[in-house]
Amino acid sequence: MNNTKSKWHNETLKEIDYKAKHGKYRIEGCASPRYFPHFEDLMILPSQLTRMPIDTYREDCETRTVLGGRFAKNPIVLETPIMIAGMSYGALSKEAKIALAKATAKVGSIISNGEGGILPEELEHSYRQSIQMLPSRMGFTKRSIEVADMIEVLYGIGAKPGLSGHLMGEKITDEIAKMRQIPIGIDLHSHPRPGDAFGADDMVVKMEQLRELTNWETPIFCKIAAGRVKDDVKIAIKIGFDGIILDGCQAGTGAAPAMAKNHLGIPTMPALVQAVKTMEEMGVKDEMSLIVSGGITDGSELAKALAIGADAVAIGTGAMVAMGCRVCMKCEAGNCAFGIGTQNPEQRAKLDIEEAAERVANYMRGMTAEAILLAKAAGKTKLKNLEREDLRSLTLEACAMTGIPLVGSDYVIGEGFGFTAG
Amino acid sequence: MEYIDISKIEKQAVNHVISETLKETPQITLTHVNAMHNICAGLSGKGEVIIDDSTGLYTGSFLEDLTVRVKGSVGWYAGDDMMSGELIIEKNTGCNVGAYINGGNIVVYGNTGSRVGYGMKGGNIIICGNAGRWGGIMSMGGSLIVLGNIGAETGESMYNGKIFTRDPEAERKMGNNVFLDKITDEEIETLNQLFEQYAIDATGESFRVIRPLKTGRHSYQLFKPVLEPEKAKKHMIKKG
Repeated sequence: MNNTKSKWHNETLKEIDYKAKHGKYRIEGCASPRYFPHFEDLMILPSQLTRMPIDTYREDCETRTVLGGRFAKNPIVLETPIMIAGMSYGALSKEAKIALAKATAKVGSIISNGEGGILPEELEHSYRQSIQMLPSRMGFTKRSIEVADMIEVLYGIGAKPGLSGHLMGEKITDEIAKMRQIPIGIDLHSHPRPGDAFGADDMVVKMEQLRELTNWETPIFCKIAAGRVKDDVKIAIKIGFDGIILDGCQAGTGAAPAMAKNHLGIPTMPALVQAVKTMEEMGVKDEMSLIVSGGITDGSELAKALAIGADAVAIGTGAMVAMGCRVCMKCEAGNCAFGIGTQNPEQRAKLDIEEAAERVANYMRGMTAEAILLAKAAGKTKLKNLEREDLRSLTLEACAMTGIPLVGSDYVIGEGFGFTAG
Repeated sequence: MEYIDISKIEKQAVNHVISETLKETPQITLTHVNAMHNICAGLSGKGEVIIDDSTGLYTGSFLEDLTVRVKGSVGWYAGDDMMSGELIIEKNTGCNVGAYINGGNIVVYGNTGSRVGYGMKGGNIIICGNAGRWGGIMSMGGSLIVLGNIGAETGESMYNGKIFTRDPEAERKMGNNVFLDKITDEEIETLNQLFEQYAIDATGESFRVIRPLKTGRHSYQLFKPVLEPEKAKKHMIKKG
């Protein structure tokens, strides 16, 4: 979507032409091209006379992160609070999935499998493996639960909340069809609702079932798209999840109606604020983990998300770009020249797994280093010690949305965030 | 035969106690289950558990190898994600029985609610009575066998699998993206074996099969808004 002042720019004309020709909505890959308010509208306050900075070049800043210990006996311990978000084998090539998994082993992180079952090679190479339990349950069995270091009960994703998974026929190979138990050649529109829990009360009972199956050992998260965040988070707390993965509307996907990407859900930053406030109000902020995703690409966004109250972030599109993706937004076509969003054997051969894995690992190291740099400048010896008092809003809009005081004024517009500047 | 009075065991310990007892004896009867949820959830191994009562939600879910026989009725989601073994229910069930099952046999001697076999991926679900709406919806494998009447939209958007029906109204009731087909000799034999195994008075020859349309991506029809100007004319408000 274009934000020029004229309504009648090329994008509008193209959209009308498409509908005039086909009589339906357009499917597109990747994230929304729209501008949404984001972490760039916040600034981090450096330490000066009020506190001592930590030496950027000589002193340590801890990044180790523990997730999912609210009820689970075996919480996840990561070396950096960056997770590889759920992207399916199908949306991505096998080579891309293996490269992402290998990257997690290089940096001590976790990868989520995405829809359609767990690729054995991904499981073999990942440092820690999150397994999604989706409404489609494609490729999911009791074995999936047994191998999971973390379980994600998926209710929605930021790119297309309220919609189910799409995998266009071009990407459904024989192997993927077998894994998902679907016919070759159809355009897959997977199950929109879980068939084994119609509502939160049932989910409370379902959670007891999952705890029995995992012997209370494996952390169980829910993944929700950012919408009615306050209410959804309250329900997630009641159900008894160990943590929440909150996906803002800037998140990407392999294929989605462009309408959904551009107009469903709310942005990551205000969603995170609402989630943190709700968890604090409910008295579970210290025990329950919060992972936030959707449009997070660098260390400043990681640092600001942690300062607001996230425990970790998840990256998807950023990791794909690190492998070589140039965000052409045509993932749905399965014709990716870089061998990432394709199942074409010739295109897949173009992705060097080892090189891609190293690039993703380097990207994660770089992001971590950036966040550390900012945290140390703010006087922190641990990344998780970043707090919202370290932030200021750069715009009135960000101030109103986050409750973080406006730069240069100490004013808060809106609900506030539990602290006063100055 | 070992008897366990469930009302005397702490809720969290019930399935563990059943599991441990099965190591000692191959057949257990559970009493005073009192519609408890998650009874026998995730249990595995050889043996038979007889539940001399009715049960709550998720009865025998993720079951593996074991036979669970419920003398009463069961709540929603019985046998969800079942791997193998048997779940036999002598009376009626709530909705969404056998959701996502991967294998094994679920037999309901009474009636079942809506969405039986939701997204099922393998195994057999036999309903001796009637089934509610959306049976076998979006299934990906296995066989749903309904001896009584099926509900509306049965088989909606199945990807794979089979729904066996004797309902004379099946063609009118079934959902989109499926077609009604003749039963094959091989399928008749399979059904007859199952009926014999579970002492069900029926023969495979009397069934027809609802199968998914999957001959090409363009045959799979998704929801589209239907705009019918001719119908709207009937509702026009006359001015003046």
